[in-house]
Amino acid sequence: MPARSGTLARAVTGWAFALPFAALFLVFTAGPVVASLAMSVTDIRSADLLDPLGVNVVAFDNYARLFADPKFVQAAVNTAVFVVVGVPLTMALALLVALGLNSGLVRFRTLFRVGYYLPVVTSIVAISVVWRFLLQPDSGLFNELLGLVGIDGPSWLDDRPFALPTLIVMAAWRNLGFAMVIFLAGLQAIPKDLYEAATIDGARTLARLRYLTVPMLRPTMLFVAVITTIGYVQFFEEPFVMTQGGPLDSTLSLAYHTYNQFGFGNYGYASAMGYVLFVVVVLLSIAWFRLLRNTHEQ
Amino acid sequence: MKRTVLLVALTVVTLVASACGRGDETGGGAREGTEVESGKASGEITVWAMGTEGEKLSVLAEDFMEENPDATVTVTPVPWDGAHSKLATAIAGRQTPDVTMLGTTWVGEFAKTGALDVVPPDLVAEDDFFPGAWETGVVDGTSYSVPWYVETRLLFVNKAVAEKAGVTEPPTTWDGLKQAVRDLRERGGARWGTYLQPGQMGAWQTFMPFVWQNGGEIHDGERFRLDSPEVAEAVAYYQSFYDEGLSTRNRLREGEAEPKFISGEIASFVSGPWHIGLLDELGGKGEYEVWPMPSGSGEYTSFIGGSNLSVFENAKNRDGAWKFVSYLTRPEVQVKWYQTVNDLPSVAAAWDDPVLAGDPLLATFGDQLGVAKAPPPIPTWEQIAAGVDTELEKVAKGTTSPEDAAKAMQAHATSIGTGG
Amino acid sequence: MSSDRIRSRDVVARVVLHVLLGLGLVAMVGPFVWMLLSSFKGEGEIRRVPMTWLPEDVTFANYGDLFERLDFPTYFTNSAVVAVVTTVGNLLFCSAAGYALAKLPFPGKRVLFGMVLGTIMVPSIVTIVPLFVLSSNLGLVNTLAGLILPFLAQAFGVFLMRQFIFSIPNDLLEAARIDGASELRIYWQVVLPLCKPALATLGILTFLASWNNFLWPLVAASTEDKYTLPVALALYAIGQNRTDYDLLLAGSVVVVLPVLVVFVLLQRHFVRGIATTGLK
Repeated sequence: MPARSGTLARAVTGWAFALPFAALFLVFTAGPVVASLAMSVTDIRSADLLDPLGVNVVAFDNYARLFADPKFVQAAVNTAVFVVVGVPLTMALALLVALGLNSGLVRFRTLFRVGYYLPVVTSIVAISVVWRFLLQPDSGLFNELLGLVGIDGPSWLDDRPFALPTLIVMAAWRNLGFAMVIFLAGLQAIPKDLYEAATIDGARTLARLRYLTVPMLRPTMLFVAVITTIGYVQFFEEPFVMTQGGPLDSTLSLAYHTYNQFGFGNYGYASAMGYVLFVVVVLLSIAWFRLLRNTHEQ
Repeated sequence: MKRTVLLVALTVVTLVASACGRGDETGGGAREGTEVESGKASGEITVWAMGTEGEKLSVLAEDFMEENPDATVTVTPVPWDGAHSKLATAIAGRQTPDVTMLGTTWVGEFAKTGALDVVPPDLVAEDDFFPGAWETGVVDGTSYSVPWYVETRLLFVNKAVAEKAGVTEPPTTWDGLKQAVRDLRERGGARWGTYLQPGQMGAWQTFMPFVWQNGGEIHDGERFRLDSPEVAEAVAYYQSFYDEGLSTRNRLREGEAEPKFISGEIASFVSGPWHIGLLDELGGKGEYEVWPMPSGSGEYTSFIGGSNLSVFENAKNRDGAWKFVSYLTRPEVQVKWYQTVNDLPSVAAAWDDPVLAGDPLLATFGDQLGVAKAPPPIPTWEQIAAGVDTELEKVAKGTTSPEDAAKAMQAHATSIGTGG
Repeated sequence: MSSDRIRSRDVVARVVLHVLLGLGLVAMVGPFVWMLLSSFKGEGEIRRVPMTWLPEDVTFANYGDLFERLDFPTYFTNSAVVAVVTTVGNLLFCSAAGYALAKLPFPGKRVLFGMVLGTIMVPSIVTIVPLFVLSSNLGLVNTLAGLILPFLAQAFGVFLMRQFIFSIPNDLLEAARIDGASELRIYWQVVLPLCKPALATLGILTFLASWNNFLWPLVAASTEDKYTLPVALALYAIGQNRTDYDLLLAGSVVVVLPVLVVFVLLQRHFVRGIATTGLK
């Protein structure tokens, strides 16, 4: 009996903590999500806005149509490349910067922290203007630098093989400050005495990194990995301001294609695409959870 | 755990699904608007307008309120960026204003929702407007919106380059245009003789006039006609500018073209009246002229765009709303509007005013407007146009042939349908 | 570590690290610096090719224009109220829910966490129509509450807080429980202080996202007096056929300043983790 009332009490406590969030979340987030999921199995279009229930249920037709849509397939490939290259690149750069700033060897840390975070807050329009200047084929900084070593630089945003890689680099540049901030917070949470103990044991820097920092940082890395993956699967702003998906759809992303379909008023179809994105993120997140699972999780 | 969530979601979906189903579509056919009661406007009239128009409309609203002391006009300016989504969600949530400004190519889509009121027959007269502009508001024979301001596309030409090249008269035929552009490049010393947008968003607006000039059409009322020989020829003509090195195959981004045009690197480009202000601001005033578009074997025409005004069917103040719309299309108000924000009048009579008639650049626009055309206001047009843009990019990059491009445009359009 | 003696290896490491981070810094701040400098240029100079860095003719007209044409106090107040309330709400609700999800057993926990994770992964564009219809039915359209409520408790924040609270040792909480502390007290006096870096992170990220949010504030406000800064800036600077870079850049500088202030204020807390809370 005491055990049961204890369980009940703990259940009540748990829910009491979760309730304010859960209530708002169910109404304003989960509700619309379920509604949009319902939309994805109907043929709802913008013409049905006044009578959203007066549509036909088409089950998985929207989903089937997706895979016959050459733009969707192209966008899926582009997004896959973007995520597979972009997420590790961003995380690695962010982790290196965070470790550098956290090493205790660096002065002006506030300056560095703010500086590396600036791209995150700078308006995407200003960023796109500057990047376009830098990337200009004839007078841009990149090609002038390449010219110094005798290389005739490409038209970065208009040559098919270069456009997507350019946007990957740009996205890594833009997002590494975000990941860095979270890594810094995570690094601070590792008790200092563990490092002291390791140093006394004579562990070298690399060994400390491998056997102490990285394992202790796992929950943070998992978080950064999942959040960055979610952000990158929904890759949108860079192609939107830099290439509009071109040249020849080589930078069209799934999120961009979804956005376009939404703009065309194909709500059912756009929602279906949104849920394909969703499934992809779920699968990738499960992979990250497997890869970076914390020992006391599960 | 995820399985549980999925199961719950699916149950909800099934429940909702059982409540759905399209009723019998009510038959089409032209509808007549209801008349508006005579007399002065009264009560509150809420208006949405985009961008600069939204920012400055209160100037005209105040004049209107002076004339109609019992009426209050409340203008909400809406950013262009996101305006389409704002209208769509407002319709779904039944939170629409009385009057809204609509991009000409949006009318078909929003008319299909049933949210727009039919234009009353007694307040505005079709004959007052440029015919191409009026057509943008007519869906399945029914008028849902009234043209407010218009724009059309001409060729902007760098004067110095043209003089050096010895091109003094605007060409009137396709061959003439090609030769003129060639001269601008070879004799005028320009890096590029012209700039035709090589595909991507909105390129169809530059391309479609060539189809019309060649006697082609988008839709004949029965089916799409994008695979006709006329369209393929227009594509071939468009493509030849890239193949002959007369226009860059790479898309110029916003702000790139103007400095290159003023410096003479690009000798000409196709654009609308807003480029007058833009070029003047960048120091190009008086350095350029505008040429009308040439004619092919078909009609002499260009693209007409701009914005319309519509009233929502569930407007709280329908009569007041239409009275305000009617006020905005009076010739003298249209002239004042031109003086306020440089929007070109949709009402032909306004062009007789010396403010417009006295300006040679504008006069060329005015002439072209009389014959300019818009795509048919089919609800799915934006999506069909995106398919045209995609093919144009391939055309510019040389990865497709004109015939294949025309076929692909047709297949894409047919697969989407007219949404009717 | 022998404390004061600086070994030569350390000196080399220091120099290399500073050079590398410094080079990176230049690349990172370049566009921001250009934005700042160019906000003092005229439209023609901003658009000049090749680009210029220092303004030739320094002008304050862009800022003058900005404050003259925009009803700045209104937009700023709306943005500030929405961003501050959203941030405080998320800090409170997400840390509480994160604590429950990380450390307290209760039925439905896994389902709740699954839903939290699931909804982060749904692109927001596909839910905007249902969300608007919902807000309309609740009478929230064109109210500040309508701008705030949909973002007051975001799944992202719960995920972040749960991950951080997970790494707090259970022994610590058990010790407090044995001392007779209530869960509320443990949450407030043990968990939250330990979470300062995470709370600072969440605060910065939520504030930034709310401050820059565009589509929802645009859709949910039907009169100009409920517009937020990004909506107003888009309205005045981005036209149908042209963008006014002068106004846009000056506006972007003004919009970014509060975010920078929040970041500079909160980033101190990243270095005040467990080490300085007296916990060993």
